[in-house]
Amino acid sequence: MSTPSQPDPRADQASVSDEKLLAAHEPILGQQPDEKGKYRLLPLALLFIFSGMIFFGGTYLGRFSGWFDARVFNEYGTPPKAGAAAVPVDPVVAGKKLYAIPGACITCHQPNGAGLPGAFPTLVKSEWVTGSDERLVRIVLHGLTGPIKVAGVDFNSAMPGFGPGGGFNWSDDKIAAVLTYIRQEWGNQSGAISTDRVAAIRTKEAARKTPWTAAELEKLP
Amino acid sequence: MPTVPTNAVPAEVTAIDTQARGPLLLLLGSGLLWLVVGGVLALIAAIQLHSPQFLADCAYLTPGRAQALRETAFVYGWLANAGLGLALWILGRLGGEPLRGLNWAVAGTLFWNLGIAAGLVGIATGDMTSFTLLQLPRYVLPLLVFAYACIALPGVLAWSGRRADMMYASQWYAVAALFLFPWLLMASQAVLLWWPVRGVVQPIAAGWHVQSMWTLWLAPLALAVLHYVLPKVSGRTLPAYEWASLSFWTLLFAGAWTGGRHLVGGPVPAWIPTMAVVAGSLLLFHYLVLVINCRGIMGAEGTGAGFLRFGFVAYVLFGGLDFLASFRSLAEGSQFTLVEPALREIGLYGAISMMFFGGIYYAVPRLTNRVWASGAMIGGHRVLVIAGIVGAVLALAIAGNSQGSALLDPKVSFAEMANQMRVSLLAHTAAQAVLLAANLLLLVNFLRSACCCGTSTEAPPALFAVESAKEGSAS
Amino acid sequence: MKNGPLLFTGLFLAFLISFAGLVLGAHGQLGRLVPYHDDTEGGSFPQRVSGLAARGQAVYADLGCAACHTQQVRRPGFGSDKDRGWGERQSVARDYIHQARPQLGASRLGPDLANLGSRQKSDEALYALLHGGSATHPAYKFLFETRTIAGEPSPKAVKVAGAARGTETVPTERARALVAYLLSLSTAYDYPEAKPLAPIAKAPEAKK
Repeated sequence: MSTPSQPDPRADQASVSDEKLLAAHEPILGQQPDEKGKYRLLPLALLFIFSGMIFFGGTYLGRFSGWFDARVFNEYGTPPKAGAAAVPVDPVVAGKKLYAIPGACITCHQPNGAGLPGAFPTLVKSEWVTGSDERLVRIVLHGLTGPIKVAGVDFNSAMPGFGPGGGFNWSDDKIAAVLTYIRQEWGNQSGAISTDRVAAIRTKEAARKTPWTAAELEKLP
Repeated sequence: MPTVPTNAVPAEVTAIDTQARGPLLLLLGSGLLWLVVGGVLALIAAIQLHSPQFLADCAYLTPGRAQALRETAFVYGWLANAGLGLALWILGRLGGEPLRGLNWAVAGTLFWNLGIAAGLVGIATGDMTSFTLLQLPRYVLPLLVFAYACIALPGVLAWSGRRADMMYASQWYAVAALFLFPWLLMASQAVLLWWPVRGVVQPIAAGWHVQSMWTLWLAPLALAVLHYVLPKVSGRTLPAYEWASLSFWTLLFAGAWTGGRHLVGGPVPAWIPTMAVVAGSLLLFHYLVLVINCRGIMGAEGTGAGFLRFGFVAYVLFGGLDFLASFRSLAEGSQFTLVEPALREIGLYGAISMMFFGGIYYAVPRLTNRVWASGAMIGGHRVLVIAGIVGAVLALAIAGNSQGSALLDPKVSFAEMANQMRVSLLAHTAAQAVLLAANLLLLVNFLRSACCCGTSTEAPPALFAVESAKEGSAS
Repeated sequence: MKNGPLLFTGLFLAFLISFAGLVLGAHGQLGRLVPYHDDTEGGSFPQRVSGLAARGQAVYADLGCAACHTQQVRRPGFGSDKDRGWGERQSVARDYIHQARPQLGASRLGPDLANLGSRQKSDEALYALLHGGSATHPAYKFLFETRTIAGEPSPKAVKVAGAARGTETVPTERARALVAYLLSLSTAYDYPEAKPLAPIAKAPEAKK
């Protein structure tokens, strides 16, 4: 476009009045795309593109919506199933936490399982821990009192029970977890103790109210 | 295309302009004042990015507060005042009747600016909230809603009492901005500040607020200006106008759903960031139709059109980049880096502000019935503001890019990262200084034009006569 | 378009639908999240923090710490959050339910702090950073009071580099709240929903 003179930059000239602007655009909105009996390319292309974007959006949503579940934070994830909520817990991990609860095992047997010489027996390489599970489960269920020889050293103190009537009242799976932990930590390498095993002994000794003594336990296998 | 104007018919400056002169110049002027205030704050925040000890001992200007002050002054001070001024002017002109209830607008402007000033003091002294674009302390927000309603009243009256039955695109956009902003400000202050929702619902609502501010308020205001000035200067109808309404509704309905784009990988359910991508893909249609309709601005002549052209390109660029940044694969690197402020700079400065500048350059001579005081200052402003925006965006983007790759590499410490970014952050400070200078020029020019101390006498009404010869091409 | 009421209704719907869908929808899903009770640990998580720490969050917010620090760990494999030692798992919604103002943040000019309490046990280093600053951190001297020792030194005084003899530097109430808050930040507990996906499910399921 060539204008006779450079337009003044200090004020823009209008080419059309407001009324004209409105009037010129009014008829366009109601227009049908095929008004003149022929389809124009632009509306078709736009319609096509719009549908394409809706399609893309829908596909993307379907794939990464995480089922609109509030528990799915990873777009590749699936919502946790209702029944399978109980993920199998590693007894060693759970047992470690239980062991460390203040007032529980850690208070006497110490974080390293070595106990306190002269007062509380060690759990490391102790035949009572790594040996018979019949005895071990009973100790934790009902407690232990009186003289006991652990790893060649004599002790004479008392341990409270963690089973029925005790301050902790641990369930079978907690006792199983903490026992599995101490049997496999600090170099101990004995087999795990299952929840069922603890449950069976608990049922068998349902009448027991007092702590065990070493002599009683030594009669068991 | 006819080039020589034949006969000058109805004068472009009408009673609508004359009567709205004072209130609208007040709005535009206070906007420009805030722009300069925001520029000073932006400079402080920019310096703190590379020299953390700068003003560190001043409790009022910790980096977080300086940034919040800058953002608030810019968005609630400059963009709100200028955008409202232009929207009222456009609604009045297209409505065809002089604006009614302008006293309300004057009172509203005063309250609005008082509220912003009180809010800034509140932010500096420790009442800042931690939500982006909603850092204002909650006690000023009800006042702001009320003040906004007062300012918007003449616009709504002009729209409902319009002479022509039909509405032009600018009217849709302007009316949308007038109505939507108070609603969204009320909704977000309710769920964030008065009766706060729990835990991560707050960041989700804050994300919705940020994107709503953009798509339901600022973008409509800027597009109202663009859609108005473009056919006025080019004298042509929009080429795909029959699609413009679909484009409009896409922006409004899809826009705010992009709120989750700030929460990619965050502690929110996966569907929220996913929704942002979906809404973003729909928004592309809005940008596409806008490109087809407003591409005429690329060839349009005039001062206002020059600014609008830059703003139009930046707007479309912002749309595309914002969409891309909402994808997880890209967000992994760009999220939490200076790429995000670079994007905001493109959007708020490059797109919205530049379109407002264009609108101001077009509107002010008509409101004052006098040409701008200085052509040289207009030229200077244009060169400086473009250099400043391009410089600031590039500097932030380069810094953000190196920050992004540094963050992804766990061996790079934050001190090394700061060293890598130092040069580009210094460049960013320089760009902010240029922007401040540019906007000072505009403010001075505006004050000289508005206060009759410019070239007062050479303003024949015929200067704004509509060139009727070109009208033929409009139909 | 010439129908004013229609335009108005459309505007209102556009506003309402996005607000309802995004904000109220999320509120419906997450607004009633309860702490997770772990029988093994004998407690519920997340745990409530002390009153001082809760006030510290307000200090964190009004100083604008979130301008440079985030408090959200992204999942292992997405970004380097885990490798930088910021957390073993992704932050989830439940982490924030006791927080009055979750400070997720959007910028990492400094490290993520979501799990700071797990790796930073003592307050000394934090006071030193807040008082003395570093190459990347401003020195917020206004959070401390320097005064001459009159009689017994204050038990709350902190050691700072370059302090004059006979003076002591005591953190203000706000500084102590801020540090208590920072030390309370921990995402050490693993919620079921925060567990990383099993390797089988990790691949995008292209075929369904």
